Amino acid sequence: MTVKLSEGAIEAFAKGNDVNNPVLQLVNIRKIDGGSGPARYRVMMSDGLHTMSSFMLSTQLNPLAEQDQLAPNSVCLIKRSVTNVLKDGRRVVVILDVDVVKTANEMTGKIGEPTPYVEGQSKAPQTTTTPAPTVRPLQPQNGKDGSVSRGFGRDFGKKTVTAPSTPGGSSKVVPIASLNPYQSKWTIRARVTNKSGIRTWSNSRGDGKLFSMEIVDESGEIRVTGFNQEVDKFYSLIEQGKVYYISKGTLKIANKQYTSLKNDYEMTLNGESTIIPCEDSQDVPMLQCDFVSIADLEARDKDAIVDVIGVCKSAEDVTRITTKNSREVSKRNIQLMDMSGRVIQVTMWGAEAENFDATGQPILAIKGAKLSDFGGRSLSTLFSSTVMINPDMPEAYKLKGWYDKEGHALDGQSMTEMRGGGGGGSTNWKTLADIKNEHLGHGDKADYFTCIGTIVYLRKENCLYQACPSKDCNKKVVDQHNGMYRCEKCDREFPDFKYRLMLSANVADFGDNQWVTCFQDTAEVVLGQNSTYLGQLKDSNEAAFDEVFQNANFNTFVFRNRVKLETFNDESRIKVTVVEAKPVDHKEYSKRLIMNIRKLAAQ
Amino acid sequence: MTGVFESPKTRVNASMLPQNVSKAVCFVGRVDRVHPTGKSFTLLDGDEKMASVELHEPLDEELSGIVEVIGMVSNKGTIMASAYNAFREEKGIAFDLQLYNEALKIIHDFPQYYPFEVTTSN
Repeated sequence: MTVKLSEGAIEAFAKGNDVNNPVLQLVNIRKIDGGSGPARYRVMMSDGLHTMSSFMLSTQLNPLAEQDQLAPNSVCLIKRSVTNVLKDGRRVVVILDVDVVKTANEMTGKIGEPTPYVEGQSKAPQTTTTPAPTVRPLQPQNGKDGSVSRGFGRDFGKKTVTAPSTPGGSSKVVPIASLNPYQSKWTIRARVTNKSGIRTWSNSRGDGKLFSMEIVDESGEIRVTGFNQEVDKFYSLIEQGKVYYISKGTLKIANKQYTSLKNDYEMTLNGESTIIPCEDSQDVPMLQCDFVSIADLEARDKDAIVDVIGVCKSAEDVTRITTKNSREVSKRNIQLMDMSGRVIQVTMWGAEAENFDATGQPILAIKGAKLSDFGGRSLSTLFSSTVMINPDMPEAYKLKGWYDKEGHALDGQSMTEMRGGGGGGSTNWKTLADIKNEHLGHGDKADYFTCIGTIVYLRKENCLYQACPSKDCNKKVVDQHNGMYRCEKCDREFPDFKYRLMLSANVADFGDNQWVTCFQDTAEVVLGQNSTYLGQLKDSNEAAFDEVFQNANFNTFVFRNRVKLETFNDESRIKVTVVEAKPVDHKEYSKRLIMNIRKLAAQ
Repeated sequence: MTGVFESPKTRVNASMLPQNVSKAVCFVGRVDRVHPTGKSFTLLDGDEKMASVELHEPLDEELSGIVEVIGMVSNKGTIMASAYNAFREEKGIAFDLQLYNEALKIIHDFPQYYPFEVTTSN
């Protein structure tokens, strides 16, 4: 039962020197409950000469302690550790990797008569006569940060003096996995895999802004957040995909609500933080994606976070929507296709949606998109998602090659809107005959469809009404016949009103026709005139007013419609309301027709 | 034989010219090269394939862009033009020659639905 401890290792640790794979005996282990977050273990170690209590286990080693592998008297080989200098100069050794050489049961007790290491006792303590010549070379006698007045507290609670100094003048680069709240002197070298936009907040305690990024090195990943001044200082500097040296951030327990990264901590940038670009970045890993085939998304659970890569087959225009908490955001739907030949709709939000350019059908890799069962299966990007356009990765080149060769000819079957016209928001092309044949609108919810239709009749009568002139109120006003108009909703009388449109139109395609209702905006598109002007014409120039309606006949539009079965006085009828009317994009239309013809011919 | 203008004119691309020798055709392409004499020019179709066009009279204008030619296909596979018409960009929308070519293929692949062929109408 002979185990040789690395005598002198404790002294070396205490002085901040590197110690190569020391063998130490565990004297005591104590659990520290750190409020939220995982428990931490603090360990006292002995090298047979000295003991030191400021060892910490990194959290991934907690199971060793919990399973009593690491118990008093067990002997350990410390394979990897990081020495951190606290602000007050004390050193904490974080054990990152350890082998238990002898368990406590295999040991008879404590080896030697170690004493607590005290600064200045550079020679072997009085209690033992055993010298420690073997490890001497590990302790430079005249290093910059030599033993002179290096304050070292034996207890965490006990403050010791002396100003801290960084060994060698600058912190050495440490792995992300070794970062923890007990250290402040470190530098990491990591690649930014995701950089958020700037978000602002405003509440009773004031307002501010923040951004966050995710960084990765070969040891792990961590989320970094910067607030206010740090946003100004660093936001423009940081480019997604680039590598940076980062030092002096504040570490705290990660709030898992905001991040899915595999790290117990997250970092906040502070006034002392520095971020310096690193040119030599070859060896720092790129973003790791675990791409899921689009065809396989069907089998995944709703709300799953997935990585996908695909060709952007087409993109819709940006639209502005108002969220539940009445915030206005931009969104854009795109169709993504991969080598499975399947297509899925991806919704992008905010600046990403606004700035996205689909020309040239780029390859899109999305890390951390959320799977939804909206309209069958669709994806949505999150604040934490990373969208990469034409990324420099083998999967992208492979996909591009496939798409150029054969994929472009495929009319991929879409995962989205597979269940009929489930209001998927995207194009659900129907002919007018389909409305009747497929009983659109008969369900609980309204159906939405898009068609190409030609105006064959417009009902001129009652197409204009006098509406409340106040902003956002379009309620019909009652003419008081005294020059005043009363709005019931606003409970006010106004000297004027605005004209608004509610137009009944008969629309036809090759197979059928359909009565539809156009409100203000869509009616203006159909008539090609604004409602104010039309109101003037109606009151002043009946012939010109009629002409507007004549000219509007036989124009063809792309109509997006809402259809719902409505019941009035025991009579049910299909009511079709135009949500959007826009001119036909003949190129797009022709392409779709050609595609449909080819598809029909192939059947 | 009736004149070019009276007979139906099949819309063709360059690869369809050999099947249409001695027939009236309508060819749309992008002007590639105009012969210095002005009596002939070449057009590229949506497949980037070339067709030669010969004129009875030299051109009296500069020709460029998308041009539609109506004429007879000669034994050599050139088009003896009876008329030509340059397409101007309409409202800034460029003529999509590739798309036109796709449509042409559809017409020829499914003649039963596009009965524009010559059916000897005496």
